[in-house]
Amino acid sequence: MVDSNKWGMVVDVDRCTGCQGCVVACQSENNIPINLEEHFNQRRAIQWIRIERYWEGEYPDVKARFIPIMCQHCGNAPCEPVCPVYATYHNNEGLNVQVYNRCIGTRFCANGCPYHVRFFNFWEPEWPESLKNQLNPDVTVRSRGIMEKCSFCVQRIQRSTRESERDNEVLEDGDRGLNPACVNACASNALIFGNFNDPDSTVSKMKEDAMQEGGRGYRLMENLGTDTNVIYLKKVDGSVEVTHGY
Amino acid sequence: MALTRRQFLTLMGGSAGAAVLFQACGLPEKELFIDSPPAMPEDLVSGIDNWYATTNHQGGSSEGIVVRVMEGRAKKVEGNPNHPLNLGGHSALSEAALQGLYHPDRISAPLVRTGARGSGEYREISWEDAIARLSSRLGELESSNESNKAVFVTNPTGGHAGLVLEKFADSLGARYLSYEALETNVLRSALKEVFGTDSIPEFDIDNADLVLSFGADFLSSWVSPTRYARGYGEFRQGHEHRGKLIHVDSRFSMTAANADQWVHVNPGTEGLLAMSIMQVLSSSHPNPVFGDLDADGVLDSYSPANVAKEIGVSVDTINQIAEDFSHSEHPIALGGGSAGAHTNGTQNLKAIYSLNHVASNLGEKGGVLLNPNPPIDGVGVAAPSNSFSEFRRLAEEMKAGNVSVLMVKDADVYYGMTDTVDMKVALDSVPLIVSFGGMMDDTTSIADLILPQHHFLEDWGTDVPLAGPGYQMIGFQQPVVRPFFEHRGSNLGTKGFADILMATAQVMGKDLRLDGETFREVIRNDVKRLYELDRGETGSNSFEGFWNGVLQRGGWWDTSSKVEDVPEVKRLDGVASPEFGGLDQEFYIQPFISTLSDGSAASLPWLQAMPDAISTATWQTWVEINHKVAEEKGISEGDVLEIRPSNGRIIKALAMPNPAVPPDTIGIPIGQGHRDGGRYSAGRGANILSILDLKLDSENGSLAWAATRANITATGEWIRVPKFENTVPEFPRDEHHHIIEITSGDHN
Repeated sequence: MVDSNKWGMVVDVDRCTGCQGCVVACQSENNIPINLEEHFNQRRAIQWIRIERYWEGEYPDVKARFIPIMCQHCGNAPCEPVCPVYATYHNNEGLNVQVYNRCIGTRFCANGCPYHVRFFNFWEPEWPESLKNQLNPDVTVRSRGIMEKCSFCVQRIQRSTRESERDNEVLEDGDRGLNPACVNACASNALIFGNFNDPDSTVSKMKEDAMQEGGRGYRLMENLGTDTNVIYLKKVDGSVEVTHGY
Repeated sequence: MALTRRQFLTLMGGSAGAAVLFQACGLPEKELFIDSPPAMPEDLVSGIDNWYATTNHQGGSSEGIVVRVMEGRAKKVEGNPNHPLNLGGHSALSEAALQGLYHPDRISAPLVRTGARGSGEYREISWEDAIARLSSRLGELESSNESNKAVFVTNPTGGHAGLVLEKFADSLGARYLSYEALETNVLRSALKEVFGTDSIPEFDIDNADLVLSFGADFLSSWVSPTRYARGYGEFRQGHEHRGKLIHVDSRFSMTAANADQWVHVNPGTEGLLAMSIMQVLSSSHPNPVFGDLDADGVLDSYSPANVAKEIGVSVDTINQIAEDFSHSEHPIALGGGSAGAHTNGTQNLKAIYSLNHVASNLGEKGGVLLNPNPPIDGVGVAAPSNSFSEFRRLAEEMKAGNVSVLMVKDADVYYGMTDTVDMKVALDSVPLIVSFGGMMDDTTSIADLILPQHHFLEDWGTDVPLAGPGYQMIGFQQPVVRPFFEHRGSNLGTKGFADILMATAQVMGKDLRLDGETFREVIRNDVKRLYELDRGETGSNSFEGFWNGVLQRGGWWDTSSKVEDVPEVKRLDGVASPEFGGLDQEFYIQPFISTLSDGSAASLPWLQAMPDAISTATWQTWVEINHKVAEEKGISEGDVLEIRPSNGRIIKALAMPNPAVPPDTIGIPIGQGHRDGGRYSAGRGANILSILDLKLDSENGSLAWAATRANITATGEWIRVPKFENTVPEFPRDEHHHIIEITSGDHN
C-alpha cells in the first residue's frame, strides 16, 4: 500500500503487432466522435491512442515497425504552463488532466505538445440517435471548440478508487477495472498499466529492469526533459547488428 | 538555486494557497488543490454497471467477451479474462459489435417487399404474418413434393443454432448449404488429410521458438487473430529466448511486418517451398518420419536447385529456413490465407502442415495440439462451408427454376461471389428470397421477405470454436441486454434466429424433436448433459449452480480432455504449380482482409475508420502498389485506377504506393463496394471479390481467390485517400533521437 499514486504505463514495442485493437477500444470507452471520411481527409481525425507505422528499407529488404503513441502524461508537461485557464494541469496522481469545462480552445497546448497527442474538436460531435445508447455515461462528451486527449481512462481510476475505498479494499495492481481500455484490449500484452509509486507493481518492476544499463527501456524524446510517465521497451530485431532506430 | 518554470509555478501556487488558507482559517488543504474540481461530488456519476459474459463467434473466430451494461444499455465490450482462447484480450470486431447492436439502420420489424426487387421499398408486417407467409410457401412446396426447391444458405453455423437449423432443414426436406466468402474449407480439408480431423488445431505459439507461417495473416485476420496475438506476445517476450517468426507470403501483410524475416515468394508457390524445405531436411537431417511421409519419394524433385527459381527465392534462403526449422526446439508450421487460395491451394496447405510431422510437434508443448471431439453429441463445430463450385451449381439451378424459396442467414451471396458466376442474375430467378438479416446486407436488400434476427448480444447460443484451445470447450452466448426493439411489442421487433425457425416449424406442424419450447430451453436442457459429465472447470453440486456458472464464466471447458493420440503420418502428395487467369496481365491481384472482415463488418463505422495496419487508409478501397512501379507509371497516391482482369470486369480504386509491395503485385482490401449495408457502407469503394477470375482449387472446387491477374490504368481522376498517416505532424528525428528504438537483443 502506498500513500499516493503515480499512474503510468509501460509499452513493449516488441510485443505490439500494430493491430489497432487499442485504438478502437479507446474510441468506445471515451466517447470519441466517429471519424468519418471527411475528418481523415481534413487531417482532423481524433485518436487518443494511435499506431504509428515506420518504414525501413524497401522491397525486398523492407520492415514496417509499429508503435502505439498516447499522451505521455509528462512530469514536466509542455502543454500545462501554456494553458491560460488551467484547463490542463498536473494532478497529484501523476496524470496530465484536461478539464473540459475550463477549456476555451486556444489550442496552445496542442502547439506545445511534442507528441502530438492533443486533439481539437473542430465540430460538434454527432451520433445517430440510436448509437448514443452506447456512449459511456462516465465520460463527458466534448463539444465543439474543446481540446481533448488520452486521460489514462481517469474515469476508471476514479471508479475503481471510489469502489475500493467504499469496500475498504486495496486497489490491486493489474485490476482490470482500473486499467485503461487500451490495456485491457491488447491481446499481446504490449501495454501494461500501474502505479509507479508502488515498488511492487508490475510497471515499477518493469521500469526498474528496463531502465538499467543494457535494458530495453527508453522514453520518447527524452532529450526534451518532459519526464514522461510512459516507458517504452525497445523493439528487438535479431537481424540488426547494433542498436538503432528511426 | 536554479528554478524551473514548473517549480516556480508550483511555489507560486503554494503561496497563493497558503494565503487563502490563512484567510479561510482551517479549510482543508485538499480543497485548494487545483485538481479538486474534477473530483467534486456533483461531477461523480455513480451508476451501477454490470458485466455479462457472452461469446462473439460472428465471422468465424470465437472470442469470449464481457459486456458492460448500465441501465439496460450495452456500453463497452472487453475480453473475457477466463476464456481459454483470448484470455482477456479482444479484437476491434468484438468492440464494434456495440455499433451493430445500436446501428441506426437496423431492421426493427418483419418486412415484406412492396416495390420492385432491390428498390428498398418494404412494408412492415407482424411476426405472425411473416411466419405465416414463410410457412405457407414452404407448405405448398411440401405438398407438391418439391421440398428440395427450398434452399437454406447460412454462414457456417455450429453449436445449438446449428442443431436447430439442421433439424429444421431436415424436417422440411430442404437443402442446406453453408457459405463463406473466403472459404476455410480448403484449410479444413487439408487439415483433415494431414491430421485426420477437420477442426483447426491449437497452435501453441506461446511456447514455440520458431513460427514458420505461409500466407496466413494470423496476427491480423486469419482464423483466430486475438488468440494468436496473445501467443505472439509471449512468444516474443514471455520467455528467456525470444521466438523467431519467419513469414512466407506473396504480400507484405501485417504478419509479414511483424516477422523477423519476410520471405517473399511468387504467389501460389508456398507449398513448393514447404516441399523444398522438407527435401533439404530429409537429406541433411535423416529422420524416420520421412520413411512414412515420403514413402513414394516425391520430395526428390523439390530440391532447392529445382524449385528455387519458380518460388522466387534463393537456394540459400531455402537452406537457411530448413536450418532454422531443424535447429529449433519447438517449431510450428502453419499456413492459410492466400497460400490456400490458389489452384493448388489444398496441396500447398497439405505440404505446409506436413512440416509439423517432420518436427514431431503434435501434442507437444510449443507445437500443434489437435482438438478433441465436442463433449456433447450433436452440438459441435460448424460443418465446413460448401465449396464455391457447389454455389456455382446452385446459381445454375436458380436460373433453371429449381429453387423456389431461398432462405438466407448471414450469408451475403449477392456480395461475396465473383460476377463470373452470375449469382446476381441467378438470384433474380428465385421467386421468393427470405432473409433473416438484422441489417440490410446486400442479399437482404434484394429479399422479398425479411424476418429480422436479434443481434448476437440479444440472443442465446452456444459456440464450439472451430479453432479450439486444444481441449473440449463450449462457449456460451447469453443476451446481455433486452432486445433493442422490444418496445415495438411482441408482434414487431426482432427475434432470435433459432426461435424463428422453431416458431415456423410449429406453425407448419413439424416436430423438430427438440427438448424445449424456446431456444433458451433447448440449450438449458442440453446443458444438463454437460452437467452430468461431472468434469470441467465449472463445478457445482446443483444444476442451477452449474447453469449460472457456465453463463457467468462464458463457457464450459475441461483442460484435461486433450487428444493423446498422435495421428498417423500421411504420405506426401506432390504440389502442382499454380495456374492463373490472364497470364498476359501485368500484376497478380492479392485480395486481403483489412479491417472489414469479409465485408460483413462494413456497416460498422469504428471499423471503417480503423486505419489499415500497413497503409493507415480508411473508409475506401485502395490499391497497394510498389512505390517505384508507381513512379515509373506516373501514378501517385489517390490516383483513381481501373483494375482490369482478363475476364472483362472492372473496378476502380485509389492508388496507395508503398515500399513493401512486390513489383509484380497489387494488393486490394476486401470489404467495400456494397449496394447496401446501411449508411456507413452503401455505395462506398469497390468490391474486389466481384471481379475475380473463375479459377478453382484443383482438389475441392473452392474459389482460388488469389489467382487473378490484372492490368491497371489510371483514369486521370484523383481522390484524396482518407488515411491516418500525416494526421499528426511527423516527429522530428535524427540519428540521436528515435521514436522507435531497436536493439539487436544481445542482452536477452
